[in-house]
Amino acid sequence: MQHPEEPARPARALAARRAVVTVLALLLGWHLLASALWIAPSSPARDVVPGDTLREYMLPMFGQSWSLFAPDPVSADYYFDVRAVVGEGDDAATTEWLRASDIELSRATYHLFPPRSASSAIAQAMLLRGAWGDLSKDQKDVASAHYYKGEDWSSRLHEDLVAAGGTDEVRTTFEEEDAASIAYATRVAVAVWGEDVQRVQYRVARHPVVPFDARHDPTSARPSPAFVEPGWRGAERASPEAQTLFTEYFCSAPAQVCEV
Amino acid sequence: MELRHPELSPRERALREGPAPRLRAVAASLLARGGRLHDRGYRWLTSGPRSLYGLAMTRILLGVVGLGVLLTNFGGRHYSFGTASSWNGELAEPTSDFPRIWLFSAFRATAESPALFTALYLSAIVAALMVTVGLVTRPAIAVHLVLWVSLIETNDSLSDQSDNAYRIFLVLLLLTRCADRWSLDTRLRDARPGRTESLDWLVDTVHNLALIALVFQVCAIYVAGGFYKLAGEAWQHGYAAYLPLQTAQFGTWPVLSELVTAWGPGVAVATWGSILVQIYFPFLLLRRRTRAVGLVAIMTFHGSIGLLMGIPWFSLAMIAVDAVFIRDSTYQALSERVGRSLRPRVETPPAARPESELIDA
Repeated sequence: MQHPEEPARPARALAARRAVVTVLALLLGWHLLASALWIAPSSPARDVVPGDTLREYMLPMFGQSWSLFAPDPVSADYYFDVRAVVGEGDDAATTEWLRASDIELSRATYHLFPPRSASSAIAQAMLLRGAWGDLSKDQKDVASAHYYKGEDWSSRLHEDLVAAGGTDEVRTTFEEEDAASIAYATRVAVAVWGEDVQRVQYRVARHPVVPFDARHDPTSARPSPAFVEPGWRGAERASPEAQTLFTEYFCSAPAQVCEV
Repeated sequence: MELRHPELSPRERALREGPAPRLRAVAASLLARGGRLHDRGYRWLTSGPRSLYGLAMTRILLGVVGLGVLLTNFGGRHYSFGTASSWNGELAEPTSDFPRIWLFSAFRATAESPALFTALYLSAIVAALMVTVGLVTRPAIAVHLVLWVSLIETNDSLSDQSDNAYRIFLVLLLLTRCADRWSLDTRLRDARPGRTESLDWLVDTVHNLALIALVFQVCAIYVAGGFYKLAGEAWQHGYAAYLPLQTAQFGTWPVLSELVTAWGPGVAVATWGSILVQIYFPFLLLRRRTRAVGLVAIMTFHGSIGLLMGIPWFSLAMIAVDAVFIRDSTYQALSERVGRSLRPRVETPPAARPESELIDA
């Protein structure tokens, strides 16, 4: 029954409303289907969406992957170590290895709210290790050699890596991660040992944890870390402002290493 | 349509008239059923917003997560996202798609000017705060979302799946009426004379659809997570929970890690338990009693990994969305009880509710 003073809502408006709601519900249906296909482990079910439509709809806004800690959970520590040659001529001295990843991690261990900075060296160690693993024996030999003399060390390294063969993609990925690692190592070295840093070397390692069954056995040694150790490289400095900000933060970690 | 046997039911008519009309009758009855389902769905979607308290709780907690992440990383903002992170090459050549999109490029663009970068960072904090308290909520969510994504995606190597979840949650939250309860917006609106929105039905419908998408999203995360774990040997054999806790990155409380992994059966329960609770979560939601069990189990799961693995904000973001699985009547009861206990005890309280209603999930 209609209220006498309330005009009847035009049937056309109601039908339009119903149509809008139906269209919105269909959109939701598509979103749920696309999300389900994207989130589930890849399967032939994905073929119901033709072409690249699924990827185009999901990325970048709905991009996600839920294979966290699966199928194999994280079961190793990653280390990023840095050393440097400081000073010139007779004053030149090689420093000990410094585990930069531990300095960063000291902000996380026994902290309720670990900052992301706690694992930037770890993230770089994993990236470098992955890129290194794809190199051929010849490429690894080149990368393990020392390149630091003169202004042109990086172009010499590049030429030798190209000459060692292999695909461009594998080489480029390694070169990018190597460059990032050298730049990080230089920032750490300058922060810790000062402006006199001449050249740097970094190494990264994966160190498996004590196996579950051996966790109560005091005689069982933890498996040894496996190191990846490219050769010495020329220092790659940051702008003074970037280095200052880096130093301030790196040196204020709970684990103190910087010479004050 | 002409009815030849108005006194007969469709079934009787179909029996009398042989197979072809019978098929037609079945089709008609299916259509009618489909129509009724459509009607019910239409009514569910358009007859007012659902889970207003639940989504208000989601909004508050997601705001707290945003604030938490931003404050936790404030000291390291230049080191993690700004000019002091330029060594990783992402400021020059972003790994993520987002910094190349104009809308999400602000932090990358200002990384080289620390003062501007900091100002932008502070505005992200303000936006997160506004989301939490529900002030100018929808624009605040939009601004927070844009700033958040542009900050976090500036350094993809420090980003993880929690950032994807948080972004998707915010996108969906943006479509809801999450400021209709427990927000400053409501208080301010209540102070002004009421006005009715002629497009309320549309806003309500979008709200309800977004709620479904959120529920689906969070359930899909759990079920897919469970599926992937099933494929792993350490998960099958019940010791996967031990491994990350032994690393420095995901075992941020080494003494606690030792303690909780010392007893083998406990490790197996935690390992298998996480798979079971993830896969069965959507099914536990179907009934009221099992829903309470599911929610307690998933909160325990998030609470433990949030603390032991050093990922509290990830855990809280998931809890934020799980909050929609608690009914509005439960939130109202809780809210009244809290309100009563905060008010001075001069007047007699309104009719007390039975205890059982208060813990109903």
